[in-house]
Amino acid sequence: MHLSTIKILREMAGICLLATFVGLTWNYRLLHSAWTGNVPSATPAAATDTKANQGREPAAVPLPLGLMQVKELYDRKEATIVDARDGVTYSAGHITGAVSLPIAEADSRLAEFMNRFPRATLLVVYCNGYACQDSRTLADKLIAAGYQTVFIFEGGFPEWQDAGYPVTGGNP
Amino acid sequence: MTEIAGKYLTVILRITLGGVFLYAGVVKIADPVAFAGNIAAYKLLPYFGNYLIAAILPWIETICGLLLISGCRVRGAAVIICALNGIFMVALFSTIVRGLDIDCGCFRDGGEKTSAWTAIGRDLVLLAMAASLARRDRQSST
Repeated sequence: MHLSTIKILREMAGICLLATFVGLTWNYRLLHSAWTGNVPSATPAAATDTKANQGREPAAVPLPLGLMQVKELYDRKEATIVDARDGVTYSAGHITGAVSLPIAEADSRLAEFMNRFPRATLLVVYCNGYACQDSRTLADKLIAAGYQTVFIFEGGFPEWQDAGYPVTGGNP
Repeated sequence: MTEIAGKYLTVILRITLGGVFLYAGVVKIADPVAFAGNIAAYKLLPYFGNYLIAAILPWIETICGLLLISGCRVRGAAVIICALNGIFMVALFSTIVRGLDIDCGCFRDGGEKTSAWTAIGRDLVLLAMAASLARRDRQSST
């Protein structure tokens, strides 16, 4: 092999190895969560219902979904859409068919929610768009409660409404 | 005169391409979960694979960007950028074939959506710049 080719391959290998090392070190916690699951061991619901959890992939940090992916799941009725905003905002306008579970009432209403939706349900949580963290917080709570497949729709209600997709309440 | 112009062009190419990749890498490093979501939207990798790529790829982009700007190991960085752009274009083209209407996830998440064709066009330009740099650096080193 030509000397300059060997040199360039060495350079490329060095860059890739350095990036891999730094990337894995920098994101160690995230990767660990994604690999092992993010369910706290003290979660009663997940810990007691061992039969329901058999053969499942471990839960991890909730992945964000884009508008088109949410719409795809919505059209196929494969996901339950969860609105993390407060009740008044929900009444003013929400994604048609979305279930209201305000972040402020999540702890008190979680048991009722879990009776209604089994832990195998695919959940997509949204709030008021990219600046809003409630969907992430609620998604973390739902994962901690034992839900295995929880996504976040980061564009939230504003993006959904702007796209002209079905909404209930509020201004048309 | 031509030689001087060629040197200036190389510097401009290095800094422009390096700046683009440095920016692309840094914004993804800042929010790896969002980037993992962007990768997941391509539906090409298993669950953990999305996170793994989201952890490593931005650092490759950042390091290559820094090397190009500094003028160190230019050829190695430029060839890696060529390979990355090739992979990006294949992934983008696969979304068109599969009818996926997704954001390319090339830069900051939450910005204006970039269509696959636009992103492929942009990647072609970046690929041409990187290939030109790799070639120029080879000529200057021989």
